[in-house]
Amino acid sequence: MTALVRAELLKLRTVKLPLWLLLTTLALVVLGVLATVLTAGLEGAPLQRDDPALLARSVASASSGSVVILVLGILALTQEFRFGTATPSFLVTPRRSRVLVAKLIAIAVTGLGFALVSAALAVGLSAVLLPLRDGVVTWDRTVLQVLLGVVLVMVLYGPIGIAVGALVRNQIAAVVGSLAWIFIVEQLLVALLPQVGRWTPGGASSAVLQLGDLATTRGDLLPVWGGALLLVAYAVVLSLLAARLTLRRDLT
Amino acid sequence: MATTLLLEGLTKRFGSVVAVEDLTATVHPGRVTGFLGPNGAGKTTTLRMLLGLVRPTSGTATFNGKAYDELVAPVREVGTLLEATGFHPGRTARDHLRVLTTAAGLAASRPDEVLDQVGLSGDAQRKVGGFSLGMRQRLGLAAALLGDPPVLVLDEPANGLDPQGIRWLRSFLRELADQGRTVLVSSHVLPEVEQTADDVLVLAAGRLLRSGTLAELQSEGGGGTTVRTPDGERLVELLTEAGLPGRWLGPHEILVQASPAAVGELAAANGVVLHRLAETAGGLEDVFLALTGQGRP
Ligand SMILES: Nc1ncnc2c1ncn2[C@@H]1O[C@H](COP(=O)(O)OP(=O)(O)O)[C@@H](O)[C@H]1O
Ligand SMILES: [Mg+2]
Repeated sequence: MTALVRAELLKLRTVKLPLWLLLTTLALVVLGVLATVLTAGLEGAPLQRDDPALLARSVASASSGSVVILVLGILALTQEFRFGTATPSFLVTPRRSRVLVAKLIAIAVTGLGFALVSAALAVGLSAVLLPLRDGVVTWDRTVLQVLLGVVLVMVLYGPIGIAVGALVRNQIAAVVGSLAWIFIVEQLLVALLPQVGRWTPGGASSAVLQLGDLATTRGDLLPVWGGALLLVAYAVVLSLLAARLTLRRDLT
Repeated sequence: MATTLLLEGLTKRFGSVVAVEDLTATVHPGRVTGFLGPNGAGKTTTLRMLLGLVRPTSGTATFNGKAYDELVAPVREVGTLLEATGFHPGRTARDHLRVLTTAAGLAASRPDEVLDQVGLSGDAQRKVGGFSLGMRQRLGLAAALLGDPPVLVLDEPANGLDPQGIRWLRSFLRELADQGRTVLVSSHVLPEVEQTADDVLVLAAGRLLRSGTLAELQSEGGGGTTVRTPDGERLVELLTEAGLPGRWLGPHEILVQASPAAVGELAAANGVVLHRLAETAGGLEDVFLALTGQGRP
């Protein structure tokens, strides 16, 4: 299995896309931190400059790349069918579930890498910029928990992308559908109908990142541990579904 | 090292389309076996069933008794080239092979060695997206050779090769078979394999029409007359009445097992216009066209 995981990582390293997506991720992290820092204390903003949660909220932006890693997961799978590389992959490893597992692990590792770089950037940027705007910088357990949450979200969104890609197979449909789901459906559900929205992957992520009333207008998110479990459950169930429904298909 | 392939009762239906029907054949080591048939005959489907990529509706395909997905190290046991897809356009030729080498746990030196074998060393660092069809075929062949396997299964490897490339391929396949390997190579263009194949399997519309040595098939050709006429249907009717079997070679071309004189007289007596009347020594191509019914209007 290690050989297969190394092969999957090599697949990612030998094309340009992951590098571009890493840069995109970092750009999103910068925008996220800037948005938190610049809006803090403004009239009507949810965060005051003396809010002890200010730093935790700011570093939560390190998860901005979750959608990017999701797209990378989708593409890592759908491109195998689009370019027909699934054929050599399955010829080398006829037990297709092993290829899928290797892919899930490789994208999780990649997500971890993205998460660590994003976290370092978000922490550094927040620590420098917040004082410049007279924001308090409170190093507490919450900050640590949020960073762990960032890692969890970034590690799991890749495998979820792989599974979605396997289930949908059509690259454009999978990417567009997922983006519409994340930026429209989940946003509306979490904000306006939190009793439903908190059960979505986005709601679970918000819980893990402790975004609280930043994300919702009324009602509560799940507790942190509940969000974490739910997110893991999404990744596992979707992956199993993908293995069952997709891998048996004929490759013509 | 010698591996025998056994196809037994292989059948594949895609919905109502019967792509392959009850195909039984043996492919022997040390020989080049040509798998011949027109487009849509079911060659690719058969090879993909053999390789576990397509699930047969019924029947089995084995390598020395083992199905492909039961092979311990498939890349070391069977080398495959399946049509010119299967490359990420943004990946270099060498990286494509490195991925496969890594997954299969082969020596890291293999990519460069096989690239050299197929004459692609100079293009190793180029992205496959910029490759011609012929270069992709060579890269596919390189991938097939990675594990130095005793069996090679190649689907239309000559597609996109220039005449020089085809000649190179022929001698390459010959060499592989002479080393004792089992070489199964499909083609819809007969001359590509005519000069290399020892054995042939002829497939049309999903059914195996002939299996045997190339020489056996050639001997079916015999001599005769080729006729070109705008009124083929009528001529075939007349020939059949006269007890002369006629076979279609093309929409207006018929092969008859009779002398030009006999055919010409029959046509003249019945007012059938002929555009061409020629004696032929026969040959594999005629047999192939006639067998597979490709010529029928
Ligand atoms: N995935 C598929 N769905 C439906 N029909 C298919 C599929 N793949 C192949 N076929 C049909 O099966 C037949 C055999 O195709 P194929 O094996 O590709 O032939 P060949 O390789 O000899 O040209 C054709 O009629 C083709 O249209
Ligand atoms: Mg074909």
